Amino acid sequence: MADELAAHGVHARQPKAIHSAFTVLEEVARCGAGVTAREVSANLGMPRATAYRLLNLLVQEEYLVRLGDLSGFALGRKVAELAHLVTPARPPQAVRSIVAGVRTHVRGGVHLAGYSGTTLRILDEDPDYRLADAARLTRDLGVSAIGRLLLADLDRQGVRSGLLSSGLVAETLHRGFAVQTGAFDPARGCLALPIRDLEGRLVAALSLSTTTDRIERPGRLLGVLREGASRLGPLLS
Amino acid sequence: MDALARAIARPERIEGLAERSPLSGLARRSVGFADVLAQSVSAVAPAGAAFTTPLLVSAVAGATNLPALAAALVIALLTASTINEFTRRMAATGSLYTFVARGLGTGPAFVAGVGLLIGYGFIAMFALAGAGYYLALLITRIAPIGLDAVALGTGAMAALGLVCLLVLARGIRLSTRVTLFVEVTSVALIVVLIVAVIASSPEGLVMLVPDSRAFDVEGFAVAATLAITAFVGFESSAALGVEAKRPFASIPRAISWTVLLSGLLYLGSAAAQTIGFEVTGLDAASSTSPANDLAAAFGVPWAGFLLDVSIAASLFACAVASSTALVRVLFSMGREGLLPQVFGTAHSRFRTPFVASAIALPVVTTVPVVLVLVIGDIWAAMTVLIIFAAAGYILAYVLACIAAPVFLHRIGESSAWATAKAAIAASALTGVVAVYLIEETRGDRAIGVWGFIALLAAGIAVYWLRMLRRPWLRHAIGVYDHAVAGDVLGGIPDAEWVDDSGAGGRRGG
Repeated sequence: MADELAAHGVHARQPKAIHSAFTVLEEVARCGAGVTAREVSANLGMPRATAYRLLNLLVQEEYLVRLGDLSGFALGRKVAELAHLVTPARPPQAVRSIVAGVRTHVRGGVHLAGYSGTTLRILDEDPDYRLADAARLTRDLGVSAIGRLLLADLDRQGVRSGLLSSGLVAETLHRGFAVQTGAFDPARGCLALPIRDLEGRLVAALSLSTTTDRIERPGRLLGVLREGASRLGPLLS
Repeated sequence: MDALARAIARPERIEGLAERSPLSGLARRSVGFADVLAQSVSAVAPAGAAFTTPLLVSAVAGATNLPALAAALVIALLTASTINEFTRRMAATGSLYTFVARGLGTGPAFVAGVGLLIGYGFIAMFALAGAGYYLALLITRIAPIGLDAVALGTGAMAALGLVCLLVLARGIRLSTRVTLFVEVTSVALIVVLIVAVIASSPEGLVMLVPDSRAFDVEGFAVAATLAITAFVGFESSAALGVEAKRPFASIPRAISWTVLLSGLLYLGSAAAQTIGFEVTGLDAASSTSPANDLAAAFGVPWAGFLLDVSIAASLFACAVASSTALVRVLFSMGREGLLPQVFGTAHSRFRTPFVASAIALPVVTTVPVVLVLVIGDIWAAMTVLIIFAAAGYILAYVLACIAAPVFLHRIGESSAWATAKAAIAASALTGVVAVYLIEETRGDRAIGVWGFIALLAAGIAVYWLRMLRRPWLRHAIGVYDHAVAGDVLGGIPDAEWVDDSGAGGRRGG
């Protein structure tokens, strides 16, 4: 990420400019569609030249769109796309109560993750057992059980990523759920159970993160998780 | 981030957005920055101009050739920056014609539109004739067949015109990819040659310092004017407003880069030629093919041959790029109703302005062929064609520079600097076009100047008559690519929009 930013010429000096850009975006959102450049600069008390430059930059990047006679601005669809990438919509109440129910029966972190295409995102993180490194988990699919479940499923469909050895894929598919130990914390690990829609497509995963010992011999825990996953299926697909 | 979060969570519905762009039918948002840059660079054809322009400039300005080129570069940069006030805000296929329409209204838009059509059309004819000329030259060199140069040249022009039509009809990506490859190769060859010449005699660099005593104002002005004609075409990527991905970022950048790259190439080439001719003792004025003569004098005759190939290819790329822009301006006028509607028809599969291409390309091919046959010499015909093109272009630039501050004022975004640079560019260019045309009326190419004025008047008259019969056109001209519902957060759901891959329409919501 840092390399990527450097390649785009983002320097230590620029956070202020980025802050101003967000302020402009915020102002367009506040005033609603059709606000003009002059109004934005007056409302923010920002020098006109600066406001015009920022507005034009945001138009270039398509976060803003010029309307009608080109004098008015509106938020571009890209704003929403960005927002969905960063913060997925909160799952419905019915889903959250099932996950909470599972949490009362299990010692360890119970998390709900959703899949779309080749990416995963955390839909409901256990408030009592936070994820060790959520960013790495979503970025590096091979290190977590949630990611491995997705990779194995993609592999089954013929999408080979090379991130997971064929042995692990076969093992995961045979077992029906994915397991990982020691990647984030040597003494802990996690397992992830698939949640599928009626056609059998993988839509989400219910995962448990706990001690290595319990991951290797889940026993009764597996039953609790399986039951939760099967109840979540119709609600998430 | 309250307001932003609210807007995302519950987008305010925005009414009054069209479902599709008034310029729909083209491959919307399908070509990347490299293609957009290729369009502008090829229309300028710096590889072809890098040898002829410095020679022409030196012949007039003598020792002040480099300052004259630098002055032209500054004027071109100011013009480009002024035109970019539009390209940063408006995505259109009508290029300067649409911009002038949005700034100054119907009347000036006609003038700019006719000027631009003459500019694009005649530069395409010029380039086609030049490519035919070089192709004929190469054919006789490789396999001497007993045909005379004019017959062979016109045959080559007709064939190249047909290839050009096919490339244009087949799709915007093919046109830009062909031109990009050709132009990069040619420019690379020229840069190698420039570096080789300067490196072979670095002591020659002192010769580049202009002698201030020899300064001649009139010569300098004429030289700068000639140099500016070598930049025309840089704005042509503005005609790809609909087809470019992220047009408000890529088009202004492509326009600025094109001017800068061509300017540096011309300066380098002028320096290399000054040094090269001085060191070898050759006479620049009597050289018919300076690239060939220099390459031969420096012991690399094959480089001269390669350069001829690359100049021919570069001229062909210029023909493709100029026609690309030409047919998009025609397409725009067809959509508005200023020209018959059939001009505004896009090919359903290739998504190109197919009808406009099929009408324009035969004209662009036939005119130079007939002219060459009448005059009996390709070079002489080319020197007449270029007068039409340069005058048409510069006229459109002047109007665009006047229109820019008016447009900015209208949308409430005017600034002192934008107005100042537009004023400087407009007055410099007005001076340039006046000097250029007056100078040319004195010579034996005066027919070009009178022809241009007659064609311009005829074009304006035709448009004016058409508008008198269709008064509503006054409000219809200047169409650009509106934001459609699919582009805006909270736009009408279920809008139809076209995805980036160019694979076809999909439903967005």
